[in-house]
Amino acid sequence: MTATDRSRIIHHLIRAAILTGFAMYIVYLVRSDSLTLYIAPRMVIYVKISAIGLYATAIYQLYAALQAWAGRKTAACECNHEPSSSITKNTLIYGMFILPLALGFILPDASLGSSAAAKKGVNFAGAELLATGPKPAAAPSAVDEGKQEAAPSPGGPKTEAELDAMFPSDEYTESHAKYGKQLYKQDIISVPEKQFIETLTTLDLFRQNYIGKTVEISGFVHRQEGMGKDQFAISRFAMNCCSADALPYGLMVSYPRAAAYNNDAWLKIRGELTEDMFDGNRIIVLKAKQLQAIEAPESPYVYPDYDFGL
Amino acid sequence: MTIIYRLGTPLLAAGCLIMLARILSGGGVTDLLLESPSLQSFKILFISIILEAFPFILLGVLVSALLQVFVSDALIARLTPRNPIAGVLFGSLLGVLLPLCECGMIPVVRRLIRKGMPPYIGIVFIFAGPILNPVVFTSTYTAFRTQPSMAYSRMGLAFAVCVVLGLLLYKYMKKSPLREEKQAHMHVHNHDHPHSDKHHHAHNHRHDHEHHDHNHAHGHEHGHSHGSHNGSAVRRSWSGRLGSTLAHASDEFFDIGKYLILGAFITAFIQTILDRSMLTALSDQPGMENLFMMAFAFAVSLCSTSDAFVATSFNGIFGSGALLAFLVFGPMVDLKSTLMLLATFRTKVVLTIIAFIFAAVFIGSIIIQQFIMA
Repeated sequence: MTATDRSRIIHHLIRAAILTGFAMYIVYLVRSDSLTLYIAPRMVIYVKISAIGLYATAIYQLYAALQAWAGRKTAACECNHEPSSSITKNTLIYGMFILPLALGFILPDASLGSSAAAKKGVNFAGAELLATGPKPAAAPSAVDEGKQEAAPSPGGPKTEAELDAMFPSDEYTESHAKYGKQLYKQDIISVPEKQFIETLTTLDLFRQNYIGKTVEISGFVHRQEGMGKDQFAISRFAMNCCSADALPYGLMVSYPRAAAYNNDAWLKIRGELTEDMFDGNRIIVLKAKQLQAIEAPESPYVYPDYDFGL
Repeated sequence: MTIIYRLGTPLLAAGCLIMLARILSGGGVTDLLLESPSLQSFKILFISIILEAFPFILLGVLVSALLQVFVSDALIARLTPRNPIAGVLFGSLLGVLLPLCECGMIPVVRRLIRKGMPPYIGIVFIFAGPILNPVVFTSTYTAFRTQPSMAYSRMGLAFAVCVVLGLLLYKYMKKSPLREEKQAHMHVHNHDHPHSDKHHHAHNHRHDHEHHDHNHAHGHEHGHSHGSHNGSAVRRSWSGRLGSTLAHASDEFFDIGKYLILGAFITAFIQTILDRSMLTALSDQPGMENLFMMAFAFAVSLCSTSDAFVATSFNGIFGSGALLAFLVFGPMVDLKSTLMLLATFRTKVVLTIIAFIFAAVFIGSIIIQQFIMA
């Protein structure tokens, strides 16, 4: 056996080990139910399939190592990626593959928390995206109308026509308006996990109708610059594809003894919806009445509801 | 390659030091470090980017390997349009049929170019594919519900940039944009089939591969090998083809994978330390915000199917022109894909193209903001 053959065998074996390592890591994440800490549920199936692909390739590498050991050439692809002969370079390259594996296996699994939220900046007004920018001219004036119409009969049951006037919409906010009417009829508006983002957006979009209403929300506590002693944010991370695109969505909470609650504590808060200025924007604020510590939920993330409004 | 070594060494050293410190101290001292929320965020982001890219990379290397083993050069030549304008349009709109993420795109295009597709078409496809496709359009439309002009502007600007890029490449790019492969080949020849060495040297690279695969998969069929380098793979057995496919796929996985991991590492690092409020502080100057959002898009390397949702979170802070610049530039050029491009194409080509796209997207986003979105 020549030195080249030996180095070939070693390369194949290292590669087989790395590929198996990644496949095992994915299996480990699936088994420990922590895969969704990293990627969104709709991506899970693809990652699982890729684990199978990694296994298959690992087995092929083992087979190739055996072939090389037996002195037979296998179908190596000689197109520009023949392994380098320098040991340093090889260590470096394989080390790069081992690094994420090592980090993955050694560090405990956790989810993004308050420090990441502070960096990313919480999206207080879920509807900011709907309310700003060049938008159809009808909307702003329509919201004012809704306010005026709502004024005469506060609290009383509304007819469908009155509700329609309170939740004016165009083709883009139609589903939010429809959902808003449902929310409006509830005594306590609880922000559900499934439509977390959509509910917050609706509350913000038609905020005039909800000021003074009781709202209940669960999330983790975090703070960012510019917040007073009696304020913190209660949020969830919203993930689209993977945690790299996760953003915190939440409500600003005002509570006299807010300082008693640490960052990253999970709370269920019930309170009255009000409006206040923060960072130059008028945002909706939850004036907390009841705070209750809760267990961190199984999935710390929330996801956009793709069926919303369909 | 040099980038890998220049950046990889210190990064890896840092990683090793952490591991070593953990082992030596039995976890006592480093628990502080390991439990620091920043390291946790870093780990989550780093691994999530890699996991998310795996399916796309594997799909890409698989398609590339299948192309290599099953599709002849002649077929590729027959299918690609001859007319440059048709070619550029073909490259720009291929993404509608093959909505691949850029991670999966690069190995496929490299293979197509090696197999004789004109490079300008292949390169346009690399940049157009991740953005001009139905998945991205739908997600942008959903994210910007109240502003459908964003989805249309995004597609329109991307299409315009790609077409101009393609025509410029057609006119000015004469040499092969792929990296030189001499070194690799010399290496190969050092230890492979001495009897056919001369033969290989006389031929084009892409014929070499076919030839080699054949030889290696079937040591007993040497007699046929000389006939196989016309790109016809017809006479191979199925097990041999399967072997070749897996060999290509796994080699390419390691080839592209190291750039993915390096890109994910840097991206996760930037995302961990970057404070968004720093960004918003700089958004006041006119024109600056467009540049800033482009730089941000480059640094965070988001997947094109989900970046629209991130862009909406900046709505109200930045103007719609800046968001458009973010949405068009990000999928075309980002840190992760630049590293992977540099692995495949010549540095000068990559940098020129990136500079062009940067300028085109910047100017285009300002024009659209002034005349269409305003």
